[in-house]
Amino acid sequence: MDNFGKSSRFKRKVLIVDDEMINREILGNILETNYDVCSCENGKQALEILSESRVHFSLILLDLIMPEMDGFELLEIMQKNENLSSIPVIVMTSEKTAEVKSIKLGASDFITKPYDLPEVILARCERIIGLYEKNSIIRSAEKDELTGLYTKEFFFEYIRQFERFDCTKSMDAIVINIEHFHTVNEMYGREVGDEVLRRTAEVLTQRFEDVDFIGCRTDADSFYLYVTHLDNFEDLPDELSNAFGQNPDFPQVRYRMGIYQDVNKDVPAEDSFDHAKIACDKIRGDYTKHIFCYSQEMSDKEVYHERLIRDIESSIRNKDFIVFYQPKYGIQGERPCLQSAEALVRWKHPELGMISPGEFIPLFEKNGLIQKLDRYVWEEAAEQIRKWREKYGVTIPVSVNVSRVDVYNPEFKNILDDILSEAEITSRELMLEITESAYSEDAEGLIRLIDNLRDKGFKIEMDDFGTGYSSLNMITTIPIDVLKMDMKFIRNMHKDEKSLKLVELIVDIAKFLKVPVVAEGVEEESQVNTLKKMGCDLIQGYYFSRPVPPEEFEVLIEKELNSQS
Amino acid sequence: MITIDNLKAFGANVEAGVARCMNNEGFYLKLVQKILADTSFDRLKSEVEEEKYSEAFETAHALKGVTGNLELTPVFDMVCQITEILRGGFDPADKEELTSLVDGVTVKMNELRAMN
Repeated sequence: MDNFGKSSRFKRKVLIVDDEMINREILGNILETNYDVCSCENGKQALEILSESRVHFSLILLDLIMPEMDGFELLEIMQKNENLSSIPVIVMTSEKTAEVKSIKLGASDFITKPYDLPEVILARCERIIGLYEKNSIIRSAEKDELTGLYTKEFFFEYIRQFERFDCTKSMDAIVINIEHFHTVNEMYGREVGDEVLRRTAEVLTQRFEDVDFIGCRTDADSFYLYVTHLDNFEDLPDELSNAFGQNPDFPQVRYRMGIYQDVNKDVPAEDSFDHAKIACDKIRGDYTKHIFCYSQEMSDKEVYHERLIRDIESSIRNKDFIVFYQPKYGIQGERPCLQSAEALVRWKHPELGMISPGEFIPLFEKNGLIQKLDRYVWEEAAEQIRKWREKYGVTIPVSVNVSRVDVYNPEFKNILDDILSEAEITSRELMLEITESAYSEDAEGLIRLIDNLRDKGFKIEMDDFGTGYSSLNMITTIPIDVLKMDMKFIRNMHKDEKSLKLVELIVDIAKFLKVPVVAEGVEEESQVNTLKKMGCDLIQGYYFSRPVPPEEFEVLIEKELNSQS
Repeated sequence: MITIDNLKAFGANVEAGVARCMNNEGFYLKLVQKILADTSFDRLKSEVEEEKYSEAFETAHALKGVTGNLELTPVFDMVCQITEILRGGFDPADKEELTSLVDGVTVKMNELRAMN
């Protein structure tokens, strides 16, 4: 026993039930050594004590033959009662036949009469209490109190156990998520939210009670189910939604499910549920689909992404990432002139070939590897600025992309400083393009950071302006130096009056902010002309050049220098 | 006066009895005193006389427990035998033995009471 029980303030309580006074006395005398002892004469009294008492009994010593209510009857009652069934019972008997019956009724151990030596009795009591308490702690940790399903950790543990006993069964991994659960809590209150969770668990448990089923609740509103394979779970989301009937006090609850069928037993269960979760997430926000099965295609994609993640380090080392440059031309003069460039990364994978940024950038943004990549691009761009200055005597500013993860990295400023000094360039030469998603969190912190950077001489370009939800809000609060109009506006500008006007408005906004505006994705001369008339300052697009490697960019530099002279 | 010594002389396994009482001789003796007043012995006798054998079995069983715990061996041994005879129904052939044992118990208990 841990020392917890031996100190007098925390003595555990034991109940002795025996109709013979002498037995109660002797046993009580022994047990008082370690416990607070309570005794009574029969099952009926014992039940009264147990039912009314706010005192918790750690152990019951129970005689079998008693008037009014014998030991067997009490055991039966206790077994059926949720609270009482967790209290261990040591039965006192000298009859072998009684032992079997007692065990079946839930007894934990026996003490014969005449009683064993006191030390033996005390040791047995201690052992039983210890076992039950440990079990009870595990049991309380293993279940989610609200729903009665397992907690996540125990869920996977139970799956492992289940598989140990029979790993040949075909099983499905299902992830169920309640759509917009936080809204339910907000609009209907936590209690209703809790009730929704409870009933969900209830419906699931009932639905799967005849098959092998292990379930848990994870996060606030997700359920993981490990269940006997079924070809078709189509009706389950609706069955769950309908559990709330037409009750007006309950919201309409919608569920979405991801299923990974016939799980591969050679991988950890956690992986199987990752697959099911991917499938479940895939249909988030899709109001037409409530179920989605994890497919081989998704599996292949996952494998592919894993590969990309694995290879980023070596590709950075081996310079498989190549920085291309796309020129920006000023158009307000007599003829367009090369003013600056944007650095864009390309991945020439040794085995997989050219991988599009659309493929790897979102992936790396999700897991933070983007920081490594961005840093590499900044270093290359800075170095390139220096090379061109040395070669041509001119400084061509290059703007580099800064992702949300970079912005909130406390080391960000230091990294930039290092890069500048290493390449021997100034902050005026390396421009920072920050896209709108960076602005979404901690606006104050961002403003501070940007002010800081601008103090150091960096120019901030707001990328993809107009595409997000808060562009307008942002530009009033965050200081920027250049506005980059998203290519979507340019693409559509000659479609209709409205689209054209929109472009004009954006150019006006830039003028109002007194910052130059860059139009991205310009492909046609007509667009250039219109933009020039509107007062747009810079153009970046295929009309002038697609993004090119440094050697090809130098051709453009030379052309520019020649036309200047 | 019931004492450790005269209990030993009586045939009780006093050492075991006292050990069961956490080596508290006074406590042991107090309990032996109490059993002298136990009406179960008389009840056993009348139940056997009235041929209420299942009740007698339960009484005997209970007495077995207490006399065993108190290590009153002479009484305990006889009560055990009584219990076995009465277990699982009563065979009339055993009537004589039973009565003799019950008488024996009475005798022994009176002996103890006399010591007091």
